[in-house]
Amino acid sequence: MNKDNEKVRILILDDEPIVCKRLKPAFQKAGYDVETLNDSASAMARIEEAHFDVVITDLKMEGVDGMRFLTRIKEISPDTGVIVITGFATLDTAKESFRKGAFDFLAKPFKLSEILDAVKRVEAGRRQADSASDQPQDDTNGSA
Amino acid sequence: MNLLNVLAFWRPKKPPVSFTTLFRKFKGLIERNNRILELMGDMGDKLGGEYVFDKQYILSSCEQLEDLVFKLISDLSVLNQDKNVELFKAYERIRHAIHEELSGRHAFDQVSLTIPLESLDQGTVDAAGSKLNNLGIIRNTLGHRVPDGFVATTKAFFAFLDHNGLRRTIHEAVTAWDGKDEAAFDQMCVEIREKILKADIPKPLAADIMGEADALVSRLRREGDKGPHLFAVRSSAWGEDEESSFAGQYESELGIRQEGLLDAYKMVVAGAYSPQAWRYRIIKGFHEEELAMGVGFQLMIAAECSGTLQTYPADPSQKEVMVVNCTPGLGAPLMGGVIKSDTFYIERLAPFAVRSTHTEIKDQLLELNPEGGTVWKNLSQDEGKTPCISKEQLVQLARAGLDIESFLKRPVEAEWCYDADGELYILQARPIRFELQADTLPPPPAPDVEDTLMAGQGIIVQQGVASGKVFVVENDEDLHDFPYGAILVSHFTSPRFSRIMSHARGIITDIGSPAGHMATIAREHRVPTIVNAGDATTRLQTGEEITLDAGNNVVYRGIVPGLRRYELTSQCVFEESYEYRLLRRLLKRITPLHLVDPKSDDFRPSNCTTFHDITRYIHEKAVSELIQLSERRELHETKPRRLNLHMSLGLTVIDVEDGMCKTDEDLELKHVLSVPLKSLLDGMCQPGMWCTRPVSVDLSSFMSSFTRTFSVAATSRIGRNLAVVSKEYLNLHLQLGYHYNIIDAFLSESENDNYIYFRFLGGVTDIERRSRRASFIAEVLERFDFRVEVRGDLVVGRIKKISLARGIEKMNMLGGLVGYTRQLDVVLQSDEDVQDHLAVFMQQISNGPGEQDEQGQRESSNTYTG
Repeated sequence: MNKDNEKVRILILDDEPIVCKRLKPAFQKAGYDVETLNDSASAMARIEEAHFDVVITDLKMEGVDGMRFLTRIKEISPDTGVIVITGFATLDTAKESFRKGAFDFLAKPFKLSEILDAVKRVEAGRRQADSASDQPQDDTNGSA
Repeated sequence: MNLLNVLAFWRPKKPPVSFTTLFRKFKGLIERNNRILELMGDMGDKLGGEYVFDKQYILSSCEQLEDLVFKLISDLSVLNQDKNVELFKAYERIRHAIHEELSGRHAFDQVSLTIPLESLDQGTVDAAGSKLNNLGIIRNTLGHRVPDGFVATTKAFFAFLDHNGLRRTIHEAVTAWDGKDEAAFDQMCVEIREKILKADIPKPLAADIMGEADALVSRLRREGDKGPHLFAVRSSAWGEDEESSFAGQYESELGIRQEGLLDAYKMVVAGAYSPQAWRYRIIKGFHEEELAMGVGFQLMIAAECSGTLQTYPADPSQKEVMVVNCTPGLGAPLMGGVIKSDTFYIERLAPFAVRSTHTEIKDQLLELNPEGGTVWKNLSQDEGKTPCISKEQLVQLARAGLDIESFLKRPVEAEWCYDADGELYILQARPIRFELQADTLPPPPAPDVEDTLMAGQGIIVQQGVASGKVFVVENDEDLHDFPYGAILVSHFTSPRFSRIMSHARGIITDIGSPAGHMATIAREHRVPTIVNAGDATTRLQTGEEITLDAGNNVVYRGIVPGLRRYELTSQCVFEESYEYRLLRRLLKRITPLHLVDPKSDDFRPSNCTTFHDITRYIHEKAVSELIQLSERRELHETKPRRLNLHMSLGLTVIDVEDGMCKTDEDLELKHVLSVPLKSLLDGMCQPGMWCTRPVSVDLSSFMSSFTRTFSVAATSRIGRNLAVVSKEYLNLHLQLGYHYNIIDAFLSESENDNYIYFRFLGGVTDIERRSRRASFIAEVLERFDFRVEVRGDLVVGRIKKISLARGIEKMNMLGGLVGYTRQLDVVLQSDEDVQDHLAVFMQQISNGPGEQDEQGQRESSNTYTG
């Protein structure tokens, strides 16, 4: 995760520009560092060169589809929290997303507050994981 | 008679379908009807700005809706054994219009060729184009002076192109261009422009333009204005002055005499095909069919001085100031940068102190030539030295600028002028596009925690950030003293705040609903507003400086520097996105309800112009069809019978199984065996519910207004109300006044099977009052543990898996609610009334149906027929 004074980095991928256009300022205002992309090929390239704490991705797009994109992110960066957003939400796609390591799954349309919450939960989860990884040392000390 | 006919006569009749089967069909139809209403409500909700949606959502919602409405008509066809040709035709018309919109071809059936400036509002932006429509709103909604005029609509633009076959010519030319050869592109532009300039303006359009101009000039002459009456003719295209600012791309024609207006129209249209404008569209990814151009015709003002105002300077090092540039005479040379001007920096907060001044010696000015066009005039040295604007005028300008900024939700650049009488005119206003966009700037640091006065309290009505001094309003008199630019804090929401809405930078109320009238006006003015914040009036004092962040629902102590600027430059103005505009256009084909009165001659399939109309018509038709079917004895054992009650409910009951006593007597309440119906009617009969007379002395004051309104407004309208019942089941359709209740309930000993579904829709009063009634009903239902959905004035409440005893209690309450609310919209004059009535209702219901005494009986029989 980031050092304390670094912003959480978010990548948003959706081939409908309106989604990026609305999410970007909302996340920036909440203090996040945001990048947006409208095509999955560029996003695929981008995640090879930069690390993101959170990735928000659409599922159904031209070119590389969201599922493959999701799989690839989790390979490169297993600790990235991926939030899947889709207009074609079915139970199966939701299940598959989770199986592939998605942190959350939101059906479009969603409220701005819902997706902001989802990102906050990613952060909270990671803080917990961080403190848990600090834990064993304390335990050893305690039992010694 | 030929043999075939004889044989036909002997053909055996189809066996009648049983009533139970038809009833099942009917229930299916009602279910579909509900899904349609819910989907329409969902789509409407998306316009509020809270949701992120995309084009895919629009497409799939329309597709679903079309499918549902088609099947709804088919359902009716099974039920009424009719082909319903007219309904299918209406359906096809609406569907076609929707598809035209979706494919970018705009259906303009309700738009005229010209619209006067005074008729423009937020609904006319597609017809008028954004530039002129903004001016219309600045004039009509924000109340600033704008030169008189009118706009030739985007419909007129297409009519003009089509009349001359130009749309095709343009399409062919641009398709043939290889996308690379710049010289060929320029040549294409020249050719298209020539064709436009030589084209004929269709007669109706020419007549409308000349007629509007004539009317305007004649009015001025009557008022003693001798002129010269010269016009400015300007482009007003879709998207111009919005996200992609086309500033400077399109042409304006200035100082045009009446006889030259038609040529000027063609000049402005041709301007859209100049190489620079066309190339700009191509670079920005605009589709050719997205070019829809309104053209504005406005009288020119003989300006004493003119200039520009920027509510934020382009230079970000200049903090929290506005910039005014001005020059004597007309402003065109200033915009063109060919003349010296005075510059003033003014603080953004009232009283708008001048931070710095820079005056120049001006040597000439441009003025109107009475013969048409403009002329230069030399200035003496003395004239040139005098600053051309006063301190008072700067303050007036600053206020106007901030009003417009609040509305456009962007830093604004306005062009303005003062005439010889010292009147300020806003000539143009567009959002500023900074070199440094906010997404490259860091957000301003959040204030310290101790500076947070309120957080997360209340409901956001209109997003935005506002800084200013608090002004607590306790009564109407206080409104007279409301200072410009203050933040209004009040216990209640009130439609009376509309008076000061354009002065207020923000609004916070202790209680109130986001569906109220005030909320509507606040949205119209785009004033950042939070309602229902609990204790704002006790936490905030008049005179205290605060910053209201209605996007994040926080109130900070003091002015938080940079927050508003950040908000204005970073915010995605969702109302301006293509998807938002498309959805709004589509909903015009879907949600407005024109068929309200089933007894009117206009209540016909051929008059259905929206999907809502069709849905409404079918619902009405299906209920009456079911009643007719139930009257056909061969379909079932029991015949429908009238139930006589103390109140005139006009209820027909069809007993499917053991829902009523088998008796030959006239049916009364005592004969009802159906548990849900019995408990509902018990609730309806309790004192103070159906009856509209006061039951408690304490409440007489407002109850008197209740009865008074009824005597005026009582509409003794009762539809064909129908209950289908069994011992444990009730399906009830009630039309009371102009609104509908549907209740579907199953109540038995088996808790798991029990459910109650309640639906309420409609009303005859204005939407605010109807919404108030809807919020009243929703609140009551919630207090009784229903899962509630409200969309406009549609309220749906559901509850399931409840014990028999609780089910009976709920049905009692619903009976009371149906009775109590049947004309409540008429009396809900303010949001406060909702709370008052809520208190009365809850008190009445807690008395329970058991307490119906003689007096209750008497009152119930002495009643208005809703």
